Amino acid sequence: MIERTLLINARLGLHARAAAKLVRVAGGFHSQVLLRRLDGGASADAKSILSVLMLAASCGTELQVSAEGIDEEAAMNAVAELFADGFREMEPESSL
Amino acid sequence: MMEQPQEIRCKGLGVSEGIVIGQVLRMHDGTQHVYHWKVNDADLETERRRFRAAVDLASRQVLTIKEQAEERFGKDHAYIFDAHLLLLEDEKLIGDIERHITDEHANAEWAVKVVGDGLLYLYSQIKDDYLRERGSDIEDVMRRLLVALSGAQPGNRNLSEDAVIVSQDLLPSAVAELDLEHTQALATDTGGWTSHTAILARGVGIPAVVGLRDFYRRTKTGDRIIVDSTRNEVILHPSAATLKLYEAETASRVKGRSAADLKERGPVRTQDGVEVTLRANVEVPSEFEGVERYGASGVGLYRSEFLLARRGAMVSEDEQRVAYEAVARIAGQQGAVIRLFDLGGDNLRQQFEEPEKNPALGLRAIRFVLCNEEIMRKQVRAILLAAAHGHLKIVLPMVADVSDVRRAQAIIQEEATNLRNAGRSFGEVSVGAMIEVPSAVFMADKIARIVDFFELGTNDLVQYTLAVDRGNDEVADWFRTLHPAVLNSIDQSLKAASNAGIPAIVCGEMASTPAYAVLLIGLGATDLSMTPSSIPRVRRAIAGIHSREARLIAEQCLTCETADDVENLVRERFTKLWPHLFPAGSLPAPRQPK
Repeated sequence: MIERTLLINARLGLHARAAAKLVRVAGGFHSQVLLRRLDGGASADAKSILSVLMLAASCGTELQVSAEGIDEEAAMNAVAELFADGFREMEPESSL
Repeated sequence: MMEQPQEIRCKGLGVSEGIVIGQVLRMHDGTQHVYHWKVNDADLETERRRFRAAVDLASRQVLTIKEQAEERFGKDHAYIFDAHLLLLEDEKLIGDIERHITDEHANAEWAVKVVGDGLLYLYSQIKDDYLRERGSDIEDVMRRLLVALSGAQPGNRNLSEDAVIVSQDLLPSAVAELDLEHTQALATDTGGWTSHTAILARGVGIPAVVGLRDFYRRTKTGDRIIVDSTRNEVILHPSAATLKLYEAETASRVKGRSAADLKERGPVRTQDGVEVTLRANVEVPSEFEGVERYGASGVGLYRSEFLLARRGAMVSEDEQRVAYEAVARIAGQQGAVIRLFDLGGDNLRQQFEEPEKNPALGLRAIRFVLCNEEIMRKQVRAILLAAAHGHLKIVLPMVADVSDVRRAQAIIQEEATNLRNAGRSFGEVSVGAMIEVPSAVFMADKIARIVDFFELGTNDLVQYTLAVDRGNDEVADWFRTLHPAVLNSIDQSLKAASNAGIPAIVCGEMASTPAYAVLLIGLGATDLSMTPSSIPRVRRAIAGIHSREARLIAEQCLTCETADDVENLVRERFTKLWPHLFPAGSLPAPRQPK
């Protein structure tokens, strides 16, 4: 299992659109990807949009992200990249 | 004998211009009574299967909506439906509902409601305003599931030719599903200027009044209704007298839509030969085709904040460039004026800062972009790059005096220099100032010396000059477009532009109302920009008048004491001079003393 602390820098936080992107990215890997708020302990399964939305993570929230599974490194890199890009707001839709 | 129902007038907020007489089509927002019954062990599997079939149906519907929305409103607006799709695929959500069916022996509707309400409750506890509001997405999906379970098909009903959709609230997916070709107008209990309903109605050019509170429950499908967004009002069961008044008023509008009028393009001339340019105000991509269809001379105002979607996040330079190139393309030789992001306290900042106490007087428009320079520089670069392929201008919203203008010009110059040094191909853009606050009116002659053009934003000018919020019911009586203070402000600004030898475009609702447009011509305006669908009727009005006569009336209006005096004068003189354009009863009736 690998873990990293990532910061949400999308202006609107993990709102529905950003959450949808995260779920699409995490869903592309076999590994389990979990998010945990550093400030409260609430945690979420990154492959469930409902779970991600319920984190209510606004801009500036720090999350402990863990990935576990055969492709954990690739999964973590992809998720970290999405965080670093501010969830690529307004980017054209990827394929469904 | 059937009793004639009483005429009911209900005040709201007109968010998309126009007047329509039609028939109510009640549109349920999907909330329904949900009954609970016990499911036998033997039937549990059937119940779960029924639920899964509803999930499938709902997913297919959302997918269609998403595709349609992408086409009609652009990808940014469609993105939200991807979240809806994911919710319908969410194992936790769907699993919770299935478990509830199994464990509680509950029917699927009840399980959806219990699980959905539980989630909505959790959502309502979220502290972040923006995230909390997103609970509406969950609500939207839950309602869709309930409708799917009931076997009903949402949307796509057979609309009569004069359907006025009346609803409590139109959720994003419901709006996207509307058969807009056959919808004449929208009236909703909730919503505001920037709600989805409003943006969409303006986009497709149908009148809409929102914020009507409890109007929905008073209506029945088939009731006669008048939607009058110019007066922020809907009238249910209009009396014969009211109907007559409105029929006269809409007569000119119907004619304005006739095919003959659509053939006219370019500038229009008054009877005495004054040439008036008619441009288009545009915001959403679905409005773009109107520029060509209604014969506009380019785009007089592009409201770029549309790119930020619903209080959305920042859009990249590249995406902006592509959007501005598209605007330049539809504007053609006449060019397009891009207004820098006109937003502030109530838009971008809210999610991480305390809301401003008084956003209308707060950090907004030019002030906001000057304080968020990176946002401004990115937008300016995108415009300069797009200008390599078309004719673009920049207008600065809400400047107070020359200092705002100078700061903005310096930034635009710097960005142009940087692009030049980087060897990138870009186009020169001229820079104008929006005149829409009283300080800018007072300083108009100074501002005129350092900008390339003026643009008069009449909506804000009325609001700021009279210190009246057009969205506030309590002060609706004080919101008077024809107030002498407003007319004098317009007069002073137009004179300042003319003395400095720069053009002035008048944009805003005022220019799209024929009578007001004629008054603007009287004040010396020769360049108007408006909702594209308004162009034919404004063209027709201007073509039928003598500017000399309009000037005489306007000059007299400037000396009036009150808005009532101006309105009476306009009504009296217009109907006498141009009865074919302004038949008796076609102008607002005298105000009833209270």
